[in-house]
Amino acid sequence: MSPRVYMFAGFALLLIGVQVVPNELPALELANQGDIAMSGIVSEEIGTILRTSCYSCHSNETSYPWYSYVAPSSWLVAKDVREGREALNFSQWQDYDLMEKLEKLDDIAIEVGEATMPMEIYTLMHPSAKLDASQRERIVAWAEEAMDKVLEEEEETDETVDEGM
Amino acid sequence: MKRRFLLPSLAILGLLFFQGTTKTIPVSENLHVEEADMPANVKAVVDQKCYGCHNAASKNEKGKAKLDWDAFEASKRAKQLATKGKILEVLESGDMPPKKFLENKPEGKLSEAELATLMDWSKSKKK
Repeated sequence: MSPRVYMFAGFALLLIGVQVVPNELPALELANQGDIAMSGIVSEEIGTILRTSCYSCHSNETSYPWYSYVAPSSWLVAKDVREGREALNFSQWQDYDLMEKLEKLDDIAIEVGEATMPMEIYTLMHPSAKLDASQRERIVAWAEEAMDKVLEEEEETDETVDEGM
Repeated sequence: MKRRFLLPSLAILGLLFFQGTTKTIPVSENLHVEEADMPANVKAVVDQKCYGCHNAASKNEKGKAKLDWDAFEASKRAKQLATKGKILEVLESGDMPPKKFLENKPEGKLSEAELATLMDWSKSKKK
């Protein structure tokens, strides 16, 4: 056998071997009571953009493609989804306190505005998640407005509590 | 008789003096009046330890992009609160001022008291 065949066989064996390395994909949960969609700060239009371009990494509703079950790409998918949910999880929006909500909305405005999100590697594999300039502008404007709204709501709640005491 | 006029004249003189002085305040100092919303002790630490890199004219592009105190002062309350949350995170992790910066300028390190001042302020929901 030629060295090329040996190399190919070696590579194939390696590829089969890495499949047994344990890798846990973050769990998929479809019923999320604390989702941002239920918070009243997201319009249908914005909700659809978030769902298409962000939810796969930033929610519990990840739609795992076939290559997320095959190593080594599955390792990368697991890592990105884990880190994505940790930084911002739209499914757990109601669990965040005021400061966290404001920080996350501010980050959305900055990162979407500067086009660092959605990540290029993600849009390469999911072209439908790509945001055009007008979608970016809408997300930035929404996030900035939502910050004011979230703060106003919190202050109204505080006032009601104060009055009740 | 002279005394009866003394007090009102002094009052008018005083009024004229204060009116005169507020009118002559240069624009840059007017900005300071707005900044008075931030507690003086916090502002003192910020001016001394942070503002050098984190200002609108800073040559440190990364520092300016992450936080610009001039923009902070002018921004809306919700944005200020978000920024304060991020400042708190950075202070808690001990990432600011950066270690590399402190190698050349050890006096730039935040003292425990200064750190506590900034952290207390960044935790509060007030300006």
